[in-house]
Amino acid sequence: MAGVVNTARLSARLASRYAPRQSTRRRLHVSSRQRAAQNYTMPALSPTMTEGNIATWRVKEGDSYSAGDVILEIETDKATMDVEAQDEGKLFKITQPDGAKGVKVGQRIAVMAEEGDDLSSLEMPADDSSASASSGKEEKQPAEDRKTDSASPKQEASSTGGSREIDPGVSDPKEMEKPYAESAPTKPAADRTQKHYKYPLFPAVQQLLHEKNISDPSSIPATGPNGRLLKGDVLAYLGQINKDYPSALSARLTKLSHLDLTHTVAAQPTQPDQPAQKGEVPASKPDIELPSETEIAVPISLSAVIATQKRVQSTLDIFLPLSTFIARASELANSDLPARKGAAPSADELFNSVLGLDKIPRSSRGRFFPQISGISPLPPTRPARKAKKADIIDLLAPKAAKSKEVGRGQIASALGVSAGDNVFSVLAGRGEEERATEYLERLKMALEKEPGRLVL
Amino acid sequence: MFKQLIPRATARSSALRSIQHPSHVSRLSPSTSLLQDRIVQRRGYATPAEEKDLVIIGGGVAGYVAAIKAGQEGLKVACIEKRGSLGGTCLNVGCIPSKSLLENSRIYHQIQHDVKNRGIDVGDVKLNLTQMMKAKDTSVSGLTKGIEFLFKKNNVEYIKGAGRFEDQNTVAVDLTDGGNSVVRGKNILIATGSEATPFPGLEIDEKKVVTSNGAIALTEVPKKMIVIGGGIIGLEMGSVWSRLGSEVTVVEFLGAIGGPGMDAEIAKSIQKTLAKQGMKFMLNTKVTNGDASGEGVKIDVEAAKGGKAQTLDADVVLCAIGRRPYTQGLGLDKIGLETDSKGRIVIDSEYRTKIPHIRVIGDCTFGPMLAHKAEEEAVAAVEYLTKSYGHVNYNAIPAVMYTHPEVAWVGQNEQELKEEGVKYKVGSFPFTANSRAKTNLDTEGMVKFLADAETDRILGVHIIGPNAGEMIAEGTLALEYGASTEDVGRTSHAHPTLSEAFKEAAMSTYAKAIHY
Ligand SMILES: Cc1cc2nc3c(=O)[nH]c(=O)nc-3n(C[C@H](O)[C@H](O)[C@H](O)COP(=O)(O)OP(=O)(O)OC[C@H]3O[C@@H](n4cnc5c(N)ncnc54)[C@H](O)[C@@H]3O)c2cc1C
Repeated sequence: MAGVVNTARLSARLASRYAPRQSTRRRLHVSSRQRAAQNYTMPALSPTMTEGNIATWRVKEGDSYSAGDVILEIETDKATMDVEAQDEGKLFKITQPDGAKGVKVGQRIAVMAEEGDDLSSLEMPADDSSASASSGKEEKQPAEDRKTDSASPKQEASSTGGSREIDPGVSDPKEMEKPYAESAPTKPAADRTQKHYKYPLFPAVQQLLHEKNISDPSSIPATGPNGRLLKGDVLAYLGQINKDYPSALSARLTKLSHLDLTHTVAAQPTQPDQPAQKGEVPASKPDIELPSETEIAVPISLSAVIATQKRVQSTLDIFLPLSTFIARASELANSDLPARKGAAPSADELFNSVLGLDKIPRSSRGRFFPQISGISPLPPTRPARKAKKADIIDLLAPKAAKSKEVGRGQIASALGVSAGDNVFSVLAGRGEEERATEYLERLKMALEKEPGRLVL
Repeated sequence: MFKQLIPRATARSSALRSIQHPSHVSRLSPSTSLLQDRIVQRRGYATPAEEKDLVIIGGGVAGYVAAIKAGQEGLKVACIEKRGSLGGTCLNVGCIPSKSLLENSRIYHQIQHDVKNRGIDVGDVKLNLTQMMKAKDTSVSGLTKGIEFLFKKNNVEYIKGAGRFEDQNTVAVDLTDGGNSVVRGKNILIATGSEATPFPGLEIDEKKVVTSNGAIALTEVPKKMIVIGGGIIGLEMGSVWSRLGSEVTVVEFLGAIGGPGMDAEIAKSIQKTLAKQGMKFMLNTKVTNGDASGEGVKIDVEAAKGGKAQTLDADVVLCAIGRRPYTQGLGLDKIGLETDSKGRIVIDSEYRTKIPHIRVIGDCTFGPMLAHKAEEEAVAAVEYLTKSYGHVNYNAIPAVMYTHPEVAWVGQNEQELKEEGVKYKVGSFPFTANSRAKTNLDTEGMVKFLADAETDRILGVHIIGPNAGEMIAEGTLALEYGASTEDVGRTSHAHPTLSEAFKEAAMSTYAKAIHY
């Protein structure tokens, strides 16, 4: 599409994709012969365009045009662009004349007819575009209009050309079977609300909505890609499964959809052409003698966790203490940490790495637990202050208390924790710095990016 | 309409080049003269380097797709390739030649073993390997030339030679035709691909001890062939030579074939099928030594967990233990770019190295080494440049093994779901119950869905079947859209087609299949 925009030409057909639903899409089965006039709305000529001015109509009312003809020029704040027809047709009515300013994307600017239509007998379709282009409040109005309009089958049959949006209702088998007169007046609610979706609903979703008589799918939180409403969302809405489950699942799948770069460790510079002499060459680090334990700290914001906590409390009426979130995040972060440096690989492991088999675990479960201190945004490298006393966490995670790796400490109890940055730190023994850093990074990730996962 | 003007202009201007002096440029239309400029630039390397918007090192799938996309987006782009033809591993020695041999060897095999049952009596069936290789070469050269044409059509400057970093914006090129040149780029894209990982202690001569490069170009059918590594490449090439008459033994270190990603149940099942076709498998077996000094090759193997050793003989040994990123001679160290311990160039989620105007895509960095993955990344990387956002969904990248039947999958497999502790449902449908498969007398395999136990959202699709590679596209689309198995089950699939098995497998996940 961008290529098309670059050339400052857009096809009328393409543009109609941006237009909200046309009025003429139900009951395709009425008669494919009957042709209808088609609303033509202000196209979005760029992803950010919200409105434009009509510079000139290059085709006049009643004139025919063919594919490739420039139909009109539209001015935006950035440029003036030609809009080109992709199919042949006839310009029936111009509703926004030359010079019209600030016309919203999606607002009707003209009505197009098919080549060969008799314009004198053609009816104007309802203009349902202006409403959806403006505020949501009015949105219901045109839907009602449409209902009345639809008494005239003429406008119903839009059978030709272009990538028009199809109302989900069309593919609804129940609707299709019903005689026309019966279906129109009876199911206003479902009909109206489904139009909030810019794409057809999935068949399983439609089925459920009808089975369960859900009239307003737009009120169901949607967790699918790009906000698409999924079967699981409806099940959660109906209370058949845990309410938070679909979003947790989506979060997991979103994570899978990205390259996992979290474990990336740059190899030590080796001689070029020397294949994979594993990174663990202690001598090559210009480090001065390392202390036996290093404290590694990272600032982590708890604002996302607190927001989730509130959400859980308001939706499920369960209060999850912050310590629970932190304990669960820590649990997650400890799994499969990279092996301790200096832990000599076994002969088998070496062989496998030569073979390029990376299935052999070079990782093990860590036993870190964070010490949390301060509200101040310390730079991540500065050692954090030593924490004071022990607490609930030791109760919640007794495992942690036993470990030597544990920088034993306290969660600055719910009171001392700031919603902003807190400094989380752990003590790392020699050779464990990488493990510890990895642990903290994952902890940060879990607490800042996906606290929802910790609820489950 | 507008698009069509471009190739025409190209053709004209290059024709003019040969008979006219560049000074005639002024006679041409503006867009043509632009092309003309670039052509002059390409021919006369003496011209001081003009700075490109994008310089791409490597003309494999990753590099050439990025180049075409960048050209379409109006960037000034050059692509450096040293192989002598575009398309990289995939077109020259990978996906395409292997699929040519797979298809033709399958026909040969089928004529020998299967058509009689179908009422077709064929006389003497003879293999003409030279011709089979020629057919392969024709496909390859047709496709690589096609890309060269697309380069012209999209104003991509094609520089034949090996590139290496001079500094962060400059790439020096040792030209294939001799001499050298320098290109400067505001942005640089590294797409240098991968190479077969050699087996320690076995020297590759591409005749007796071969990688896939040699395996697609053998001049006679080896009597005995050993394939080290039971991954996709090993099994595909093993299938080719097995069908053409070799006695093929696959030695695999792990307990299953198929490589990472293949569902364990599917892997077992395809192993049985391939064994029926005549391939031998030695799993949990490691190769400890190889000796190619004699007439054939001797390979010492022993049980992976330690055990009795054994020596195997072969005429040809195919080493297919994996591929590793290829960045030799690129001069990464010169500009301080890092690789990880497996040689992958380190990047962030937008494919940037720590030098933000240098990006890396394809086999030489992270993610599965697949051509279509490289292609997705190529488009995304260019879109990050021009639109500051690009889309690749790494959870919806299908994988296909083109044996017969084919194996294809997308999303997660059962092992992975178990490991993550996800509760899931399984629904499957065998091709033996599918009418089209039955009519085709080709009923091996099944379709298997893995869906979330709570929401029915599809988490993975795994197929063994005659056209699994095509069928997986539907699974990929479903996954991309977040569909449930019920969504697929409520979608009409033509009758009689193999794809009905796909639908019925979906139905059997959330309800029950009709025909099983
Ligand atoms: C036998 C085989 C079968 C395969 N089958 C399939 C399949 O069926 N499906 C699938 O998806 N994938 C398949 N693959 C994998 C697929 O080929 C790769 O994933 C794909 O080619 C990766 O593309 P790329 O552009 O990253 O790298 P490559 O295709 O390797 O291209 C890199 C190019 O860069 C060039 N280059 C390197 N360094 C320089 C330099 N310094 N200067 C100039 N040029 C340079 C190289 O010559 C090469 O042509 C197969 C691979 C093999 C070996």
